[in-house]
Amino acid sequence: MKECKRLMVVMLFAVLLLQSSSAQAQLRYESSLTFAAGAYAASGFGTNHYLGARYNYFFLGGKYFVEASLGISSLRSRVLESVSKLQLFESQRLYSYEFVVAYDANPAGYLPYLDVGVAGINQGGQTSFAGVVGLGKRIPLTGFLGSNQFGVRYDIRDQIFSQKFNNTDSFISHNIAFTVGFQLYF
Amino acid sequence: MDFSRKKLAAILLAAGMVARVSPVVAQETENLPDATSPSTLIDLNRGVTFEISPHTGMMGGSGIFGLRLSMNYSSINFELAGEQVIGNTANLYPISVNVLLNLATRSRLIPYGAVGAGLLLAVPTNTIGDETVSSLGINFGGGARYYLTSTFGFRVEVKQYITNVASKRDLKSELLIFQEVSVGATFMLH
Repeated sequence: MKECKRLMVVMLFAVLLLQSSSAQAQLRYESSLTFAAGAYAASGFGTNHYLGARYNYFFLGGKYFVEASLGISSLRSRVLESVSKLQLFESQRLYSYEFVVAYDANPAGYLPYLDVGVAGINQGGQTSFAGVVGLGKRIPLTGFLGSNQFGVRYDIRDQIFSQKFNNTDSFISHNIAFTVGFQLYF
Repeated sequence: MDFSRKKLAAILLAAGMVARVSPVVAQETENLPDATSPSTLIDLNRGVTFEISPHTGMMGGSGIFGLRLSMNYSSINFELAGEQVIGNTANLYPISVNVLLNLATRSRLIPYGAVGAGLLLAVPTNTIGDETVSSLGINFGGGARYYLTSTFGFRVEVKQYITNVASKRDLKSELLIFQEVSVGATFMLH
């Protein structure tokens, strides 16, 4: 029993060391490309699927990165569809593009990174300029396909912008995006 | 005999460690700036280099997104820029060709002055019946690029756009002046 516990502790340390070395190895890469999918909650509408692609460039030892991303979603709301025939936008298509700067205090550890930036949100043909705050985490896939170039990541972003419908007063909207992505370092 | 085997093993182990460490150090230091001579990090006199600079900022209270593609040759930089200015009732798309004068060519920090000309397209977003309005304009300003590595840096720019828009209603023309402040990243391609 004691031997088994010791073996488990040794294996745990080995896994932690392996993960740490893999994360450290990924710090040497300058760029990454992520394909992400998740949910997008458009303020006042509903939650719909979200697909996106992100490009990252890492600098200062991988603790900082800049990111450009493009995502598509929808403004479809079953509640609005069932209670009203009113259509606020020409279409239900939604896409957003973001530029953020992020600080990852400990890429090999467990703390998430924090990001801040700007976004353009096109809701059914109307574009809004938004501020973005968020957090996320990069998780290395050690030895996946015999390489340390792969990882997964999750992101939570709040896109904050001023919105106005027809003749109403403008109000602040929060669109929340949660995504999980597959990341390729190069 | 036993002693020489031990010695050989120790030499092999040491050689192995050295061989393992050196590529790691090489990988880690490959993209780091040369701290001893910062002037060699960026040298625009070495030949033609290209840059891609995504940016964001404000123009007259509206948010902007844009992309600049440029070619450096010593003190001169030729640039093609496209932007989207997000307004309440219309989006403005300035597309311009600019010439930049780099005030330094061997430095991490490169201040510059810029002048250019181009087309400004105003596209209405939520007004019915309005058409896209295009006008020719000029711009001038200045900024600076600061490079963290030989391929990556940040860029700040302040510009003034001047255009003349003719009104169809009363056949009068109006001189419009916009100020733009932008920040962004720059990627240098060698």
